[in-house]
Amino acid sequence: MYRSNNMKIRMMAIVVVALVSIATVGAMTAEDIVRQMDALETFETSYAEGEIVTTDRFGVKTSTFRSWSRGAYDSLIEFTSVAERGQKVLRTEGELYLFYPDAEELIRLQGAALRQSMLGSDISYEDMTGEKDTLSQYEVKLLGNERISGRDCFVLEFAAKTRTVAYPMQKVWVDTGTYMVWKGEFSTKAGRLLKEMAVLETMTVDNRTLPKITKISDKMKRDSATEMRLTHLDIDVDLDPVIFTLQNLTW
Amino acid sequence: MRFIISLALKNLTRYKRRTIITAVAIAVGLMMYIVVDSILLGAEFESMRNLRWYETASARIMHPDYWEERLMRPLDISIDDPNTIVDALRKEGIAAAPRTMFSADLILYSDDFGEDGNMPVQVTAVDPELDNTVFRFEDTLIEGRFVESGTNELVIGSWFAEDIGAKVGYWVTLVTRGNGGFYEAMDMQIVGIVNCPNPNVNRTLLMVPIDTIGDYLAMEGAATEINIALPENAEIAEEVARIQQLIDPSGNDLLVVSWDDLARDYVALAEAKRGGTGMILFLVFIIAAVGISNTMLMAIYERIRELGMMRALGMNDRSIQLAFMVEAGGIGLIGSTIGVLLGIAINFYMVNVGIDFGLLMRDMDMGYRIQSSFRGTWSPSTIITAFFFGSILSMLVAWIPTRRALKMDIPSCLRHQ
Repeated sequence: MYRSNNMKIRMMAIVVVALVSIATVGAMTAEDIVRQMDALETFETSYAEGEIVTTDRFGVKTSTFRSWSRGAYDSLIEFTSVAERGQKVLRTEGELYLFYPDAEELIRLQGAALRQSMLGSDISYEDMTGEKDTLSQYEVKLLGNERISGRDCFVLEFAAKTRTVAYPMQKVWVDTGTYMVWKGEFSTKAGRLLKEMAVLETMTVDNRTLPKITKISDKMKRDSATEMRLTHLDIDVDLDPVIFTLQNLTW
Repeated sequence: MRFIISLALKNLTRYKRRTIITAVAIAVGLMMYIVVDSILLGAEFESMRNLRWYETASARIMHPDYWEERLMRPLDISIDDPNTIVDALRKEGIAAAPRTMFSADLILYSDDFGEDGNMPVQVTAVDPELDNTVFRFEDTLIEGRFVESGTNELVIGSWFAEDIGAKVGYWVTLVTRGNGGFYEAMDMQIVGIVNCPNPNVNRTLLMVPIDTIGDYLAMEGAATEINIALPENAEIAEEVARIQQLIDPSGNDLLVVSWDDLARDYVALAEAKRGGTGMILFLVFIIAAVGISNTMLMAIYERIRELGMMRALGMNDRSIQLAFMVEAGGIGLIGSTIGVLLGIAINFYMVNVGIDFGLLMRDMDMGYRIQSSFRGTWSPSTIITAFFFGSILSMLVAWIPTRRALKMDIPSCLRHQ
């Protein structure tokens, strides 16, 4: 009898929690979802290792890297693959610097130069400098829910508020449970699809579900795709502030 | 003196074969000099003309910051109201036309081109009505027609069209970044093919209407540059200073740049080539000089016995030397006259027809802005120089062996074989 009552109470508790969760999710606005999405992608500090696999009509090229990041703005990427060994990309708020060890040359990228492709991939330097404050750049609309990769996702549509963002229209699929973006479609103002992003594999770090393998395809170019694969990720690690300085870049 | 001239002329007619051979050597050398000089000068002249007619115009107005950043083709550093400036210049009798230059990815489709593909390109957005008042593309159209305002139309250079297999009627897409940085994709139909005499332009030209591009790329009436055509004989530096004074004396908002500053790469190359050209002409000069010297030396040495006899008969050394030099001058005069006439005749062909290096220029960038035929040009100073050079050099080279022969005693001269 006691066991039966206990079971009933547990069942009721689960139903109540489930109903509250559904009600909470249902009450979330598109802006709330975007805030959660941005928060997931922003770390106090992080250290990562991985590779960028670029496929185009000339073949497949793999570049390996390690990176350090701090907050929403500061990051440093150092390439470790043979062809690019020692090349570094430093991003601080609003600025981006490249260092080429062979030439011992430091280049500050600004303006139109930021739009160049990084190592021939489908990722531009500008994509790296993109600030994770989506709401200041886009009007967002919740279109509904869809299942992607077996997960329930919010479908959001972003329309650019300014001309200074690369993609005037975006459609993203955000996991309702983890707020990770599973898929993104990036289009022109007229809705012409330019690039597509899809998460192929995830990993859990520090109770967050994050993309492990992300594929970015240029829909205007045949056989053009870039896969970003993270092989190692540490979140909230102690980092020396010197890492994000110009002096460190040229060492 | 009359006797000496008469003797020299008699000798010229007496040794007809030698006179003809020596004169022909001089003539060929001078003819080469005139023709080579004409081709090199013509190539430089035509390159500069093709630069101004199809690439740089005579001068260009742009934002001072755009000039610094021009390789990146930034759309946000532009001239806000180009039409007001164009109108102001036209009132001053100066032809001007706005253009917007931008970088893009050209996307090709298998439906038209047989296979999908893409490549980075530079695109020139033009005002179809005004552009032909500054540039000369109207004579270069070989297929189709020019772009019309407000349409998604594109004109392509013939070499570029050949390279990608483009034909009139084919569709392409240009993917680029608009003013501010947003992506834009524009479908464009090829409506015309131009065969531009400037190879750099013919290899890369993609021309689209500026108003269509303005709408797509949010230019809001702005253009990245205004091109200006000045008369061929205008003092460019003075005109540039005058236009600068007219549109923006401070130079803070607008900068006028002359064609030779815009085409610094070519001007530097032309200067380097001029050094090479001088070397080529010097070599031609040396060949001509050696030819003349050789035949004159032979002519003098084979006549040392004759010279000894003249001395034995009592003719003084000065008169003998003078007679030989007048004779050499006569040969030089005949050779120079023939050389100059031959040079003029060949140059007439070079100026009007030229030599077609089209196959060579198609796959090779020699720096010259000439697509096929290298044409000559008329250079009166070269022709006059060549004429006097041939005559005087003949006399000079006769002077040395004659003097040496006159130092020999008379019996040695008479016994000379």
